[in-house]
Amino acid sequence: MNDKTVSRVRTTPDTRPSTRQGVSGGFAGRFLRVCLDVFVGVLVLALVAGIAVLLAPDLLARLEQPALQAWGTVLAAVVIQGVPFLLLGTAVSAAVTTLVPDRVLARVLPRNPVLAVPVAGAAGALLPGCECASVPVAGSLIRRGVAPAAALTFLLAAPAVNPVVLVATSIAFPGRPVMVLARLLASLAASVAMGWLWIRLGRTEWLRLADRPPAAADRGRLDAFTRALQHDFLHAGGFLVLGAAAAATFNVAVPPSVLESFAGSPWLSVPLLGLLAVVLSICSEADAFVAASLSGFSPSARLAFMVVGPMVDLKLIALQSGTFGRAFALRFSAATFATAVLAAALVGGWLL
Amino acid sequence: MKKMLPAVLLGLVGCALLRISLLSDLYLRYVKEGLRPLLIASGVVLVVLGFLAALRTREPHGHDKDGHGHAHSAAGPKTAWLLALPAVMLLLFAPPALGSYTVARDGSGAVARRTTFAPLPKLSPLPLSLSDFTSRAVWDEKGSLKGRTVRLTGFVAPGNATAWQLSRVVVSCCAADARVLKVEVHGIVAPPADSWVTVTGTWRPAAKAPALDAIKIERIAQPRNPYRDSARP
Repeated sequence: MNDKTVSRVRTTPDTRPSTRQGVSGGFAGRFLRVCLDVFVGVLVLALVAGIAVLLAPDLLARLEQPALQAWGTVLAAVVIQGVPFLLLGTAVSAAVTTLVPDRVLARVLPRNPVLAVPVAGAAGALLPGCECASVPVAGSLIRRGVAPAAALTFLLAAPAVNPVVLVATSIAFPGRPVMVLARLLASLAASVAMGWLWIRLGRTEWLRLADRPPAAADRGRLDAFTRALQHDFLHAGGFLVLGAAAAATFNVAVPPSVLESFAGSPWLSVPLLGLLAVVLSICSEADAFVAASLSGFSPSARLAFMVVGPMVDLKLIALQSGTFGRAFALRFSAATFATAVLAAALVGGWLL
Repeated sequence: MKKMLPAVLLGLVGCALLRISLLSDLYLRYVKEGLRPLLIASGVVLVVLGFLAALRTREPHGHDKDGHGHAHSAAGPKTAWLLALPAVMLLLFAPPALGSYTVARDGSGAVARRTTFAPLPKLSPLPLSLSDFTSRAVWDEKGSLKGRTVRLTGFVAPGNATAWQLSRVVVSCCAADARVLKVEVHGIVAPPADSWVTVTGTWRPAAKAPALDAIKIERIAQPRNPYRDSARP
């Protein structure tokens, strides 16, 4: 932050040239137009809803079916529980992304990659970041000259262990602080191990960094912040709904007795719930609540769900393919899955 | 119109959150009571964000060619559409609290294991929560329920020809982690499924599961918080 930025934020409304005439130009005109837009939007929405209810009464009748109702209730519950935490997480991550310059992070890290990896893990644990946000951040770190191993450790650690996620975990498991500790340790161990593994086995040619989109440099930080917040929330929110729908389907379609049959075999249930985390693709701010709902499983298996989820899942594989290339994303995700399951099994066997 | 999509989605989700938390108690069907301030705050923030996004689309500048600053354009806006599903669902027809369907699918029913039981007050009939009643019925070796007339509150889940289940669904975080409490009721014909009742009766010690020989039944309105297992409605 410097004086230039502050003054830029203040003067933004005045410096924009107004191309429209009369009252429609300037801030007040835009405000009026938006109010009109909102009014029209509400009218259209009410009209559509009215037509839907009039033309399709059997739609509502079908919604009366108890299984569908239970599905809707569970879906709504996971989304409602997750949205405040998702918003909190994306707000902090948007603040970090827009207010902390990349070069500060780069300067903090030691030159030696072997030492930089644990430092990056600790930095990831301190800085809250949604997994969707941490992928582009890691990409920009590598572009700025940070050792890929350290950037990748940061990529894994930032969403997996940070204050927001740990608070959400302690709320989801009331009276069981050991679960929070186990999650912290297992996730840190897995992300640092992946960084060192990259130093040993990783090849730079797997990384194919996509071109950076043009940054809106002349807009001021407040604008950049609300844009990042809006984008991150919409992006991650869609995946939250996807995960909630999968969880609700799982909840309604699979009777508790089937889950209980896996609960008997702890060695099978740990990788199984890890796999479930990959498929469900729930955001790290919200996944603890889903893990708490899988009450038929052993604590170690639920730990694996929370350790794997923020590091490997379908939406992350997609995001990483976009940022780093597919050759990297597939290898990296497979190795991370194995490491995370192993870390969860070891820490879970020790602590839980 | 495409440019308005983010604004519309943010506004929809914000309005849905405000509808269930600020304007009604509907949120209690899905989450715990303590989340209410966070839900209201999130709703307000989302509505404001939606308004800012709408304001941005009305800017005279034609600079929005790069989408909304997308770093990963392929999956972004497509998945955001999904947010409309729960938002519209909550705005138009909020699904009801979990009920007899969940009870029917649950196996044995949860009975919390306890070892110490405080002496019961000398009331008759004695109001008890379902969790207290089932724990005492299953785990109390001194039989503190023996000979007592109790009054229990819950909703009706259909059973077999001779008995039905007086039930409660309790949640520890949100409705996704629901657990079921149930007591077999004998001696009175079952009211319609999912109706809320208060049943007065005596404990039936011989039964395998927690069971009650009912004397009196009373229909009541659904409690404000359907997931809080309290002794009185």
